[in-house]
Amino acid sequence: MGCDIVTVSTDTQFVHLAWKKSEKELANVRYPMAADPTGTVSRMFGVYDDATGLALRGVFIVNPEGTLLNAEINFYNLGRNIDELLRKFKANIYMSRKTNEVCPSKWKDEGDKTLVNPGAKMVGKVHEALQV
Amino acid sequence: MAAACCGLKLGAKVPDFQLTTYDPVKDDFGTFSMQEQINNKRWTILFFYPADFTFV
Repeated sequence: MGCDIVTVSTDTQFVHLAWKKSEKELANVRYPMAADPTGTVSRMFGVYDDATGLALRGVFIVNPEGTLLNAEINFYNLGRNIDELLRKFKANIYMSRKTNEVCPSKWKDEGDKTLVNPGAKMVGKVHEALQV
Repeated sequence: MAAACCGLKLGAKVPDFQLTTYDPVKDDFGTFSMQEQINNKRWTILFFYPADFTFV
């Protein structure tokens, strides 16, 4: 889909290398693993935990113009849902092509119901607009 | 590198930054650059996690 994934933790690139080679669960990993040992970038995105020196579970989608479109941050004990991340990513791609449409919460993929030209006529009539 | 703190707002332009990476495809170290992503017109997903050798 024309997207680069990069993972970031406060580990060094040397630890990333050692982890990748040691952990068989990572055998299929092809994305670059970025090192942020100073926490500078983790702080920039608001995921740095001063109490531990670690980055919280944050995921951010940035468009080709460099604009931040989505942010999700979970605490240590809750994993992220990859289907939801993919849904948000697909929706962003779709809406970047169809700039007069918006994707409601149940939108999953191309072909699903969108709202077209949301404006004054749709105020109070979203239910009807979703039935069409 | 911008020493921004405490989070970026949605709709804001992400300040340029660089990070050293381990690239498993090349099995070598490299650099991730936000500006390079913009220059190459690429979408980017940044995925932060607490620590290697844990249970992501």
